[in-house]
Amino acid sequence: MKKIVLAEDNSMLSMLLKFRLEKEGYTLFIAENGKETVELIEEHNPELILTDIMMPFISGLEVISHVRNKLNKQTPIIVFSASGQEEIVLKAFKLGATDFMSKPFSPNELVNRVKKILR
Amino acid sequence: MVENNYFVKSFEESSLVIQLVWICIIVLVFSIIFIIIYLKYLRSLLRKNDLLKIKIEKEYEASVINYLYAGNEAEEISAEQQAIIDELKSNISETFKRDILISTLLKLSYEISGEMAESIHKLYIKTGLIDYSLSKLRNKKWNIIANGIRELTLFHVKEVQDQVKIHINHPKTEVRSAMQLYLVNLFHFEGLAFLNDITTPISEWDQIQLLEVLQLHKNQKVADIKSWLKSTNESVVLFALKLAKIYNQYGVKDELMALLNHKNIKIRVDVIPLLSHLSIIEAKIILKNNFKELSLEEQIAFFEMMENVYEKTDKPFIMEHILNPNFEIKFFALKILKNLNIDEFNCFKDLTSEPEFVRIVKYIESN
Repeated sequence: MKKIVLAEDNSMLSMLLKFRLEKEGYTLFIAENGKETVELIEEHNPELILTDIMMPFISGLEVISHVRNKLNKQTPIIVFSASGQEEIVLKAFKLGATDFMSKPFSPNELVNRVKKILR
Repeated sequence: MVENNYFVKSFEESSLVIQLVWICIIVLVFSIIFIIIYLKYLRSLLRKNDLLKIKIEKEYEASVINYLYAGNEAEEISAEQQAIIDELKSNISETFKRDILISTLLKLSYEISGEMAESIHKLYIKTGLIDYSLSKLRNKKWNIIANGIRELTLFHVKEVQDQVKIHINHPKTEVRSAMQLYLVNLFHFEGLAFLNDITTPISEWDQIQLLEVLQLHKNQKVADIKSWLKSTNESVVLFALKLAKIYNQYGVKDELMALLNHKNIKIRVDVIPLLSHLSIIEAKIILKNNFKELSLEEQIAFFEMMENVYEKTDKPFIMEHILNPNFEIKFFALKILKNLNIDEFNCFKDLTSEPEFVRIVKYIESN
């Protein structure tokens, strides 16, 4: 089963996405902040990373930088951004993000993108 | 016992003032002890409430997630969903639990869109939370009315717009602001119809918020702003000017030109750059001919406009003002002169040794 690390500090959203993605056959590891995210990535070596940008301790941008520059992994990374954070999204792409979804987003659309990336 | 007798005896023997001071000290000490005990009790109660809140939140989160995924393809309410609705309904009579449920629904509602967001809105209605929000609209306290309107906005309840609209001219800005945002969030440009009826002022901040909401929704038909430009409510006119600029309303030329004679100076001043933005050249001729009758602010705004719409035929007019006593007018006149004819500018730049004039010339030469 393909592994996904989901970094999201909104517990309800992470529960919803976990439910949905596990139904599709993926294994989900949930992190509530950037520090936990990095620990989970290093421990489980996931096939996909879903990360929010604004998180406690370490932001999503630092997570991307850590994965690309320190761990030297090419794991696909989808970034969630709030409306009005276009500049931050551009920074995320420069650091190596694969895709982004602007909040509020449709969970169904996210699942489609995940399936497309993990085909 | 001996010591106590000593204290009692010395108390009785001391003067009235000392006795009063001792009584105050004792009363204060007991008050402090009582307050400390009460604060400890309050703190433990608040901690208990916090833990209870976290526990209830987790329960509600799980219930809402189960509700969202318990639906069937026929889009009817399944038995499992109905059971969840009934369970949540039984809890919402308590304000504490009701507030937690609303914040739980909103926590998810802010983050997702599409079918799931609509399901959350339906859940809000089916659990009866909407009835509590509607009852808030009839409350006497303005903050509760505003709160109720905000909840209806966040859950996209369009059906109750008539009940919300009655607060259009509420004495409190917070209520009016909530009502305006409700209409614009849910109905976009059609929601601006309230501008026809509002008699109270719309603050600059409220106008900015409305514009921000409107700009979130792209690809929509812009409302006809002509009637708002003629409104007796001056804040409506100012808001309509902003709309005209953002949405390039070239069709309201006549109404904008009429505003050059409005009794409010701010409107007269604000319409001038808008006329320039929309390239309405006729305004330049009118303002130039009436220049001496304009107020100083209008004159400055006109010269700022001239920077974008000057022509060679304006040179005599510009030359008249290169020594204007007002700094801004002098600056714009010299700048325009330099752009019109650099040789003439070089001839006139040493016209006077007045420090202000020299500073302006130096700045224009280097930029």
